[in-house]
Amino acid sequence: MAIIKRAEARAYLTPLVGFLLLFLGFPAVINLIYSVSTVDFQTLRSPTLSGFGNYVSVLADRDFWRATSFSLRFGILTAMIECLLGLFLAIFLAPLLSKRSALMAPLMLPLMVAPAMIGLMYRLVLHEFAGPVPYYLFMWFGDSPAFLDVSHALWTLIVVETLQWTPFAFLLFYMAYVAVPIDVREAAALDGASPIKTLWFVELPLMLPTLVIAFFIRFIDGFRVFDNVYALTGSGAGGSTTSLSIYIYQAFFKEGAIGKAVAASVVLFLTSLIVLYGLNWLAGRRRRGP
Amino acid sequence: MTLNRTTLSALAVLLASVALPGTSNATVTVLGWPGGSEETALRATVEEYNKTAGISDADKVELLFFNREGFFDKLQADMAAGSTAFDINLVATYSIGRYAPYMEPVDLGDGAAKTFGESVLKTMQFDGKQYGVPTDLSLHFMYYRKDLIDALMKDDAAKKKYAEIAKQYLGKELQPKDPDSWTWDDWAATALYFSKQVNPESPVRYGTVLQMKNLLFNMMVFQSLPRSYGGNWTDEEGNITVDSNAYKTGLELYKKLYDAGASPKDSLSYEYAETNAAFGSGQAATALQWNAAAADLTSAEKTPAVAEVTGIVAPPAGPDSRADHIHGLGLGLNKNAKNKDGAVKFLKWLATEDAALLYARKGGSPALTPDVVAKVAKERPDLVKLGEFASKYGYVMNGATSANALSVYELQAKEFTGYWSGQQNLDDALAHTKAGMQDLLKK
Repeated sequence: MAIIKRAEARAYLTPLVGFLLLFLGFPAVINLIYSVSTVDFQTLRSPTLSGFGNYVSVLADRDFWRATSFSLRFGILTAMIECLLGLFLAIFLAPLLSKRSALMAPLMLPLMVAPAMIGLMYRLVLHEFAGPVPYYLFMWFGDSPAFLDVSHALWTLIVVETLQWTPFAFLLFYMAYVAVPIDVREAAALDGASPIKTLWFVELPLMLPTLVIAFFIRFIDGFRVFDNVYALTGSGAGGSTTSLSIYIYQAFFKEGAIGKAVAASVVLFLTSLIVLYGLNWLAGRRRRGP
Repeated sequence: MTLNRTTLSALAVLLASVALPGTSNATVTVLGWPGGSEETALRATVEEYNKTAGISDADKVELLFFNREGFFDKLQADMAAGSTAFDINLVATYSIGRYAPYMEPVDLGDGAAKTFGESVLKTMQFDGKQYGVPTDLSLHFMYYRKDLIDALMKDDAAKKKYAEIAKQYLGKELQPKDPDSWTWDDWAATALYFSKQVNPESPVRYGTVLQMKNLLFNMMVFQSLPRSYGGNWTDEEGNITVDSNAYKTGLELYKKLYDAGASPKDSLSYEYAETNAAFGSGQAATALQWNAAAADLTSAEKTPAVAEVTGIVAPPAGPDSRADHIHGLGLGLNKNAKNKDGAVKFLKWLATEDAALLYARKGGSPALTPDVVAKVAKERPDLVKLGEFASKYGYVMNGATSANALSVYELQAKEFTGYWSGQQNLDDALAHTKAGMQDLLKK
């Protein structure tokens, strides 16, 4: 019986493993080879192994560290703001949504728009001569700030990202909030807990796993940002809005430095892997207790 | 069984017809520049070619288009992979060196020089060899508001104010001039005079619109300024000369205008579309912009605010010369073409006077010699100006058709915008650019 089960399991797993080997394993191996090779578009099929020079070149490149810094700041700030806003909206709107659940649909609309389209849309919305925002600012205050110059671009991009993705955090938090058992809330009320104390000591701890997951999903999305930033500011004046994804894209396609671009992507992959393993280890430790 | 065979045969025919479209009657495949007037003109021209007597079915042309977004990156990946999906591919002046390893030079015959002129043919040359037929030419026009300039020229008090502003910002007491005789200083003084931040009496908000986004195409717009001061990427020996006084002067002038508020605050995120919108709004007095914008900016339907009062001249002059960046789009031969003979036949035809005139009449923008362009001057007056500016002021920087030309523009865009935005000083920006160009152009 056990043998049959094992054979069945193999049969079921084979397509998945084949798929992973073909679509993830093969490119990963090619990437690793390119990352230690001298290669350009003319020598794609015959790269020359050249050691770890590409990694040294990436790690010594000030633009790589600048892009890493931008991605980290962007990822952390957007994840934090989206989660805080999403949490506030989930709790604030919960009584209304429990009676009018159809209101969820318009709140989710920003998620339906492709990020590149959002970037293009805000290029228009923020344009001094064509956009409604500068138009009204000029009308009311006689001036409008430079939304996309070096000193404002990061915050403009953060606001644009937040406006699009807060509904995602809100959706997760709302589902977690309404899933808190009613009897737990009633017990807290019977014990004389105020709404604030109930939220702080009862509801938020029960929502914590969702809060953590939402934060990391939004952080990962923010960290790897490409489309809306690229459409809105490109890599920014002097490279000021170059995210890591844009850095890799530019190194690959614009500079033709394929080895360097791939080495940067491998560094990014290994760093992500270490962070994920670290988080997994922490979560396991928490589950096991002290 | 018979039914099965019939079904299978029918299925095979169906699959073949889906997988191999058009192979039955057209075997020269041309990968063209999608969207816009180039596609329209090419479609109409190819239609005429396919009707020409003496063109066998095997040499008839079919067209292939994909998206403009990332076109050159996709093309590079395709050609590097040895694609045989097209026999003729699009090529641009600034990317010839990049694609030359995957292309074959073509001999267009003596007639080509008579049709296009040597300077235009040069936009499709790399290492002295002709890699394509120059189908469309791009350069820059200085767009200006005729009504504003005319009013300025007639008003003595305004002239006095103009001279004061020129003295204060440029250190020279200049007088307003006809735009066709502007130097860069005259243009700068005009831009400053028509900026509310400098001159609160200005009838428009800004004196000019500078395209300063970190984008390679914006560097092409900028280059004519240092070029007219004698600037070049390299000298004849191949030494990088981007740290010349010519570049310093040009970069400083842009920064001076931007910092003084002569161009919109968001100019560091402006490119073609934003510039059109700014000038078209009627709130800018001048704009150095691509010739392709002329149709929109002079159309009363598309740009009602300024269409009737928009004037067009070549970019201003510097002490060395008057210069206008030119680059061409063209069609060349894929090294892996399946039907090279048919492809060469089409390219040679495309370089003839008749084909070039047909292409022009169908909406393309070829730069033609004065004798040839005169034949379409009535239908396409804009081509007269295009041809005139290209032949008088057109230039290609040394190294601007090399394999890494696009990367050089990218590098300049990053470093120069870093200076304009105040993130680094001029000397550092030029030192970084020089070091990067030495690396890119030595390859």
